[in-house]
Amino acid sequence: MRTYIEFALKKFQNKMAYRLEFFMGIVNTVITIVVYLCIYKALYGGATEIDGITFQMVATNFVISLGLSDAFKYNEMFLQDKIHDGTITNEFLKPVNFVFRMLSENIGEGLFKIIFNFIPALLFTLLYASLCPPKSILNLFIMLVSMMLGYLILWLISFIVQTWSFWLFSVWGIITIKNVFVNILSGSLLPMWFMPATLRKIISFTPFESIYFTPVRIYLGELCGADILSGMAVQLIWICILALVAGAFWKNGVKKLVVQGG
Amino acid sequence: MGEIKIAAQSLRMSIHTRMQYRVDSLVATLAVFVREATNIIVIYLALMKFDKINGWNVNEMLFLFSLLFLTYAFVVSLFADLRDFSCMIREGRFDRLMLRPRGLLFQLILNNADIIASIGHGTLGICLFLISANKVGITWDIPTILYYISAIIGGVLIQGGMFILFSALSFYFVETNSIREIFYWNMRKFAGYPISIYNKLIQTLMMYVVPFAFVNYFPAQYLLRKEDMADYNEMYMYIAPCVGVVIYLTAYGFWRISVKRYKSTGN
Repeated sequence: MRTYIEFALKKFQNKMAYRLEFFMGIVNTVITIVVYLCIYKALYGGATEIDGITFQMVATNFVISLGLSDAFKYNEMFLQDKIHDGTITNEFLKPVNFVFRMLSENIGEGLFKIIFNFIPALLFTLLYASLCPPKSILNLFIMLVSMMLGYLILWLISFIVQTWSFWLFSVWGIITIKNVFVNILSGSLLPMWFMPATLRKIISFTPFESIYFTPVRIYLGELCGADILSGMAVQLIWICILALVAGAFWKNGVKKLVVQGG
Repeated sequence: MGEIKIAAQSLRMSIHTRMQYRVDSLVATLAVFVREATNIIVIYLALMKFDKINGWNVNEMLFLFSLLFLTYAFVVSLFADLRDFSCMIREGRFDRLMLRPRGLLFQLILNNADIIASIGHGTLGICLFLISANKVGITWDIPTILYYISAIIGGVLIQGGMFILFSALSFYFVETNSIREIFYWNMRKFAGYPISIYNKLIQTLMMYVVPFAFVNYFPAQYLLRKEDMADYNEMYMYIAPCVGVVIYLTAYGFWRISVKRYKSTGN
């Protein structure tokens, strides 16, 4: 465990080295938030609430989703590059589990983005717009746990698609298409509340609802008591299912791996 | 005449390179198409619920977006090398062009075409145009068609000019990617919406700093005449096609001055 925490910290320090990138990242995030709030405001067209959903709730949904998806942004071509240039074999020789190393490095990068990119951008945004406060301090903490589960779901979906690079020449296209599905169906751009009823029904059978929407509902207090537990249980079930699928793809892929020379 | 031959030859080369991996190219093209359609799907679903965004209905929004995609399809097939210019300098590939007996900008524009992005954006643009063009109340007579064509050309020149400007900046600064990321790519994501929905700061950026408003918003206003045009000077609709020429010429002049400062990174 200690080793993997070290991996996460190393990645975190690595990221600290690029100051300009860090500053620009904040500007970028602020612009993104401001622009989307403008879009939602125009859609609301002066109404204070639609179907019982206030503008502030929509803004909160967007900001929380953005924070999590920011933390999740990393190089999803990592595994493919390792396979293409053959350096993946070096990884197998090292006495650490390669998959857990990937996960811990990604988490390290995510923590960096949250602390140095998302939180400063959020503070700027609060000067400009008001968001909903959490229902209670307890809800805030439970949301943070639920967000970590959401992160794992995102990571596992990405990892499954990445393992396909054992079989395919390039997974760039498939990863891009996967991200479109995640962006639209998880309700980060158009909040789940406003999805057409049939689409929302379909989404409830997929892991997408568990990524952003469960943490958001916990934060806002839309879920309380037993509903919080069942919401998080669904998240855990999806993590188990996706982990099994990911494990199967990974095992078969490694068996199939052929590296020329090197 | 020789120039046209070179251009045709290098276009054929670009296509050939991509066709080495047929399936992969097909998937990548589809991916670009779907990725760019994200915003369209979101606004479509949103307008099923909300009906209008600042007075624009769904078809008018699709029409507004179509201008952005159609122009960009031309931009990536012409200016692909300038889009990736900082990478070109870092790898020393720019030196190679200096040894050839043709103008630098000419070579940069004609050399590489990003066929995949071009087809992805182009198909999306054409689809959106075909869906919306008949439903937004435009009578397609000769003057309208002429305006439309010159607006497309203007839009291509605006974005091409911006690529040249950003590329010329790499002669002064080592790192230009993050500036480009903020001002070009970030703004482009939001350029599909009517700029009247944004706050003053972003409107100013979109009109005078990275003038995407002249690529799609003002030309669409000329054709659609929505109420929110009242916030802007009417002139803007008429000069929209000319803005491209001005920006392109400015960019060209700046490039000519800047390229003299070029020092190779060595290899």
